[in-house]
Amino acid sequence: MAFGGHISLQDLRARDPAALRDVVNQHARRLYRAARGMGFSASDAEDLVQDVFVTFLETIERFEGRSEVGTWLVGILYHKAQERRRAHAREDLTDAVDEIFDGRFKSDGSWREPPIPADRLVAAGQTAEALRECLGGLPDQHRKVFQLRQLEELSTADVSEMIGCTINHVGVLFHRARVQLRACLEAKGWGRSR
Amino acid sequence: MMTCKDVSTLVSMGDIERAPMARRMAVWLHLAMCRHCRAFRRQMALIGRAAHLASEAFGHEPSTRFEGKILEHLGL
Repeated sequence: MAFGGHISLQDLRARDPAALRDVVNQHARRLYRAARGMGFSASDAEDLVQDVFVTFLETIERFEGRSEVGTWLVGILYHKAQERRRAHAREDLTDAVDEIFDGRFKSDGSWREPPIPADRLVAAGQTAEALRECLGGLPDQHRKVFQLRQLEELSTADVSEMIGCTINHVGVLFHRARVQLRACLEAKGWGRSR
Repeated sequence: MMTCKDVSTLVSMGDIERAPMARRMAVWLHLAMCRHCRAFRRQMALIGRAAHLASEAFGHEPSTRFEGKILEHLGL
């Protein structure tokens, strides 16, 4: 689990100031980085994280302690991010993403364009620079799922509960995010630099 | 028999461990035999490492007193 630290559920429910301060101090920066990873500007990410803690405080009775506090907070962050981004949803790219992936294979399911061997790929450091730009081009939902699964290292089940869709759909969204990132990196010359 | 497309889709969805044992075995068997699918899996791993580096390297840190401002806002 990406978020650690043990804080008593009883203290949280009693809104014990010391316990609440611990929650803020333990999780605020990680939430901020997750918000930035979802594509929010520095100031929007700070506002968003502040909102997350306000909601956390308002809904603390609903936190049953079945998940880590951090996972619960990431869930709130996800919903807040969705509220802010709903107007900019770009899920219409779904078919095009599937076509990119399908186009790599022949009708019998074997590779039409085999992947570039690892020894010809540029190193992770150089890939990271290109990847940052590619992340900005992902549809909102794909970027959030990539952030939660890849960077927050949450399980498919946790993300599924968080975003209110099936486990399989989380897998599909993660797959589509990675297909687009791979295509974007290749367009930037991934595999041609060594 | 699983095709390269089946295997790479499962690899890309990132949850092979959750699949039933027979399917997992079929994936590992295919990967053992297919260098292209192994290359694809390494690409996915490299994207993961690069994403962590991108996240760490590009200054995703909030302003000073970030936590303090939140605590003030919450009245703590």
